[in-house]
Amino acid sequence: MGQFLQFAINGLMSGAIYALIAVGIVSVFKATKVVNFAHGYVIMVGAYFYYTFAVLIPGAEWAPAWLASWQPGWLMEMREGLPMFSPMGAVLDWVQNLPRILFGLAGAVLANAALGLLIERTLMRPLMGQSVFAMIMITVGLISILAGAAQLVWTADADFVPHIAPNAPVRFEMFGTTIFLFGADIVNMIVALLIFGAIVAMVRFTKSGVAIRATAEDQSTAYSMGISVPKVFSRAWMLAAATGAIAGAILATRNGISPSLGLFGFSVLAIVLMGGLDSYVGVFIAALAVGVLEAMTQWQLGGDWAEIVPYVAVLVVILIRPHGLFGQKEVERI
Amino acid sequence: MITGNLKASYAADERVFDNRNKWAFFAASLAVLAGMAGFANDYVILVACQMGILLIAVVGVNVVTGYTGLISLGHAAFVAVGAYTVAIFHAGFAGVIPDGLMALIAIPVAVAVSALVGIIVGLPSLRVKGLYLAVATLSANFIVIFLIEQEAFAHWTGGMVGINTPAPDFFGWELDTKREMFVLIAALGVLTLLAVQNLFRTRVGRAFIAIRDRDYSAEIMGISLLRYKLTSFAISAALCGLSGALFAYFYARILPEQFELALSLELVAAMIVGGMGRTMGPVFGVIVIVMVPEVIKSLFGVATGGEASMAQLLAPLQDIAFGLLIVLFLLFEPLGLNHMADRALRAMNRWPFAR
Repeated sequence: MGQFLQFAINGLMSGAIYALIAVGIVSVFKATKVVNFAHGYVIMVGAYFYYTFAVLIPGAEWAPAWLASWQPGWLMEMREGLPMFSPMGAVLDWVQNLPRILFGLAGAVLANAALGLLIERTLMRPLMGQSVFAMIMITVGLISILAGAAQLVWTADADFVPHIAPNAPVRFEMFGTTIFLFGADIVNMIVALLIFGAIVAMVRFTKSGVAIRATAEDQSTAYSMGISVPKVFSRAWMLAAATGAIAGAILATRNGISPSLGLFGFSVLAIVLMGGLDSYVGVFIAALAVGVLEAMTQWQLGGDWAEIVPYVAVLVVILIRPHGLFGQKEVERI
Repeated sequence: MITGNLKASYAADERVFDNRNKWAFFAASLAVLAGMAGFANDYVILVACQMGILLIAVVGVNVVTGYTGLISLGHAAFVAVGAYTVAIFHAGFAGVIPDGLMALIAIPVAVAVSALVGIIVGLPSLRVKGLYLAVATLSANFIVIFLIEQEAFAHWTGGMVGINTPAPDFFGWELDTKREMFVLIAALGVLTLLAVQNLFRTRVGRAFIAIRDRDYSAEIMGISLLRYKLTSFAISAALCGLSGALFAYFYARILPEQFELALSLELVAAMIVGGMGRTMGPVFGVIVIVMVPEVIKSLFGVATGGEASMAQLLAPLQDIAFGLLIVLFLLFEPLGLNHMADRALRAMNRWPFAR
C-alpha cells in the first residue's frame, strides 16, 4: 500500500506536467484545427531558451554578478553554521539562484512566444484552408528543422539547469506509510496545474478566449462576426509556445537538457488523442491517468516498459472510442 | 492534353504502358540500370543500393497514403519486421533448409509476416482516419521498436545492440558484394514499380483510389471499407517488408534504432517530395532524399576543408535540410517533383505554343 501510494503520487506529478505540455497542443488545435506534431520540439527549444537565459547568460563575463548568484548580506549570515543538506540550506540555495531562475523563465517565455509567432506566420498562415494532411506534414517537417537548429546552436551535449523551486526532500505520513517527495517536484506540479487552470479559465471567460472558441466552432462565421481569425491563430501559437517554454524548463530540471526532450511531444500527442483533441477536461484526465499508469508500470515491470504506456493506451482508447474519451465526434458532410 | 495518343479499344487504354514514350522510358531506365551494374564505381553502387531499398518502402507508403489516403507515420515498423524476420529465419532454420534455398524462402516469409503485422496495425484505420490514424501508426512504430529492443527477446533479436545478418545465397551463388546486391535490389525495385503500376488498373486499385477520394461515397458504391483498407495496409506493409528483407541482406548488421520514427518520416518525406499517388513519385522522391544529405556532406567537406572540429555541425545541417525539403515542397509544390516533371513534359509537347 505504501509503495502504491508513493508511485501513485509520483504518477500524478508527472501527469500534471503532461497536462501542461498537452495544453499547448489542444490550444493550437482548438483555434487552428492543426495538430502540432512538433510541439515536443517547440518545448525542447523552450528548454534551451531557459538554459540560455538561466545558465549561459548569467555565466557570461559581462553579466552582473548578482544574476549568476545573488548573495545579499542577510543571506550569507543565515547560511553560516547550517549543516549540509538541510531543508533550510536547500531553500537558501534556491534564493541564491532566484534571479537567474526568474530571468531564465521570463526570457524563455518571451523567446518561445516569438518562435511560435514565427512558425505561425511563415509556415501555417500560407497553408490556411489547405488539407489536414499538408498541415500535419508541415509540423512533421518542423520536427527536423527544430531538432537540427537546436543542435546547431546549442550542440547535442546534455547539461543541467537550476531547479525552479527549492529541491528539499519532503517526508510525511499518509495512511500509516511514509511518503517521500522532492520539493521541486511538488512546486512543478503546482505550477503546471495553475497554468493549466489559468488557460482553461482564459478560454472560458475572457474576450480572446471567446474568440478562440468561436473560431473553433466555425472559422468563416467567426470571421464574419468581426473576429480577426488570423490574430486568433497567432495568439494560439504564441500561447502554446509560451506554456511550452515553462513545460520545457520544468522537464529540463527533471531530466537534464538535451535534444531528446522533444520525444516527450509524441507521448503527449498520444495523451491528447486519448483525452479527445478539443476537450481540456478530457486531456487533463488522460494526462493524469497516463502519468499514474506509467508510474505503476515502472513499479511493476521496470523503467523501460513505462515509455510505451502512452502509446498502448492511445491505441486501446482509439479502438474503443475513436474520438478519445471526451472528444467531440466529428460530423462530416458528404 | 497529350497528343499522338489515339486509343481504339479499352484494352489499349488500360495497358500498363499506354503510349510509346513510356515504353521508351522504361527501356532506357533498364539500360541505365544495366549499365550501372556493369560500369558504375563502388560509391555510386552503394548510394544506388540505398536508394533502391528505400524506394521499395516508399512505394509501399505510397500505396497506403498516396493512393488509399490513410496517413501512416509508422511504416518503419514494417521495414523492421521484414529485416528482423529475415535475420531470425536464417538463424532459426540454419541447417534445416539448405543455404542455397534459404533466401528464396526467407524473403517471401518476411513479406508475409510484414503483411500480417500490417493488417494488425491497419485495424485502427477502420475506426479512425486522418490524424488519429497518423498517431495510431506512430504509436505502433514505437511499440514494435520497443519490443525488438526488449531483453526478453534478445535471444532472437539481439536487443539494443542489434544482430548480424547473412548475405543471400541463391542456389550456391552468394551475393556477397555490393554490386551483386545491386542487381537483386534493382530487379526487385523495377518489379515493385511495375506491380504497383499494374495494381492501379485493377478493381482493387480503383477501390483504393475511390476510398482516398471520399470514403463514404466509396462505401455507398459497394466498396467494402473493411476489406480494402486492410488490403491496402497489407500490400504496403508487404512492400515495406520486402524492403526490410533487402535491408537485412545488404547491411552486415541491423540495429533497432535504424527503424525508429526517423525512418518513417524519411519514407513519408520522400513520398511528398516525389509526388503522392503517382507511380514515379517515389523514384524522384527517393533520389532527392538520399542525394541531398550526400550533397550537403560533400559541400560541407569542401567548405570546412575537412576540419574535425566542424564535423559535429554536419548532422544538424542535414536534419534542417531534410525538414526544409518537406516544408518547402508542401508550401510551394504540394504535388511533388512528379508534377514538375509533368509540367515540363507538357511544355515540351506543346512547344512553341502555350507553356
